[in-house]
Amino acid sequence: MNEPDEPQQLRVAMDAADERVVLSVRGEVDSWSAAELSAALDAAIDRRPPSVVVDLAGCEFMGSAGLETIAQGARRLGALGATLEVRSAPPAVLRLARIMGVTRLIEPDAHALRPPSRPTDPLRLHIASRAASPFDAASHALVRTLDAALSTDEVVDMVLHLVVAVARGAVGGADGASVSLRRRGVLTTIAATDRTVSDMDASQYATGQGPCVDASVEGRRFHSASLEDETRWPSFTPSARLLGISAIVSSPLFAQNRPCGALNIYSRRAGAFAPVDRALASLFARETSTVLTSVAAKGDGSSWERFTAALESREDIARAEGVLMDRRGVGKDQAFATLRRSSRRTGVTLRDAAVDVTRSTRRLPPRRGGESSTRIEGSDA
Amino acid sequence: MPEQPHDVLDRHRRDAGLSYGELWLRYFELGGMASALELQAIVHGALQTSAHDHDVIAHALNERFAELGGNHPVPYADDPTGP
Repeated sequence: MNEPDEPQQLRVAMDAADERVVLSVRGEVDSWSAAELSAALDAAIDRRPPSVVVDLAGCEFMGSAGLETIAQGARRLGALGATLEVRSAPPAVLRLARIMGVTRLIEPDAHALRPPSRPTDPLRLHIASRAASPFDAASHALVRTLDAALSTDEVVDMVLHLVVAVARGAVGGADGASVSLRRRGVLTTIAATDRTVSDMDASQYATGQGPCVDASVEGRRFHSASLEDETRWPSFTPSARLLGISAIVSSPLFAQNRPCGALNIYSRRAGAFAPVDRALASLFARETSTVLTSVAAKGDGSSWERFTAALESREDIARAEGVLMDRRGVGKDQAFATLRRSSRRTGVTLRDAAVDVTRSTRRLPPRRGGESSTRIEGSDA
Repeated sequence: MPEQPHDVLDRHRRDAGLSYGELWLRYFELGGMASALELQAIVHGALQTSAHDHDVIAHALNERFAELGGNHPVPYADDPTGP
């Protein structure tokens, strides 16, 4: 069920026979190859044409970096009194543009029903001025991140939330998405589009089984087209099916070339993820990995340290919640309420109350390989 | 006019001397799942949230008040007086 990811290499052909310059984009524009598109746009702009057309008919994927590259080109052309037109954007690019709030750039007809744009706005480019939805604002955060100006935990958080929102919106058949990160052998959900996917993740952490666990350990993509026929994760599969999940694709995340988590996308429909959807999932995971790597590389800053300290706290609490859920047969919310009341009653922090709960238990949930159990005990720092 | 519960959260945030970023980090440490922007919307009452999520925010604030020597002034959803 697993297949290697071989993204189509990006090719940008320039046709300047006419007065205007046409750039025909073929292949995939991700964080890495966006530089090539940027170079092609530079070359086109250097010719000082009255207009540049970016034809995306042959474009199989374009991530946020590609959209931002086009937006920058549009800004530069606008400053020169020229225009930029995007033509034949494929549905996946349109979906992403819609979520990022840059539809006016990619899909010029989309604003026909909206109030007319200001006349001083020749490019109909609103990437900087629109902040109507959290996604728009988050996309600004992502753009800043890709400009290597990442500075706060909030930006990391917003980026991860944007990634899951974009993945759900852009990957065909997706009903929800989450980002899980691994620290000292323990996985935690950092961002999720909905409760179903975070419950699914929790079930994988509890059983030590599932595509998210395997992707984050083995550093390759895991896909289950139909959980009904799935045999790889017998402890996890029944609980996922109870949640109404039929298909899952988990793509590995890397920080500085080491697997550190997974981007998980699920569908309620078996066979929902076609090869192109799985490739899209992997590309989103790669873009997320770029962000994680850039954050991890800034080891000097307090940002990453504070963020990872926050992750440790979440892990302590999640472990204790798991213990309470197992011991009392209650849900996650009730488990949290128990910890909260204990914290209030005893005057310790909720995290300390959680650590006490975990320490008090000798009976640990069964985990594959027995390795994780050691980590549960050993990670109380 | 009775005060809206979500406005209470922002008032407590200011009383606790927490920036939105600091509150978000504390909320995130407790397992909160909303993004920083969503949290801002929630404490301002612009975004509805679950009782559980409200309690996570309330507890993040209460732990800050405890650090400052106070008790738990921010009500939880299941308190008799309500949030």
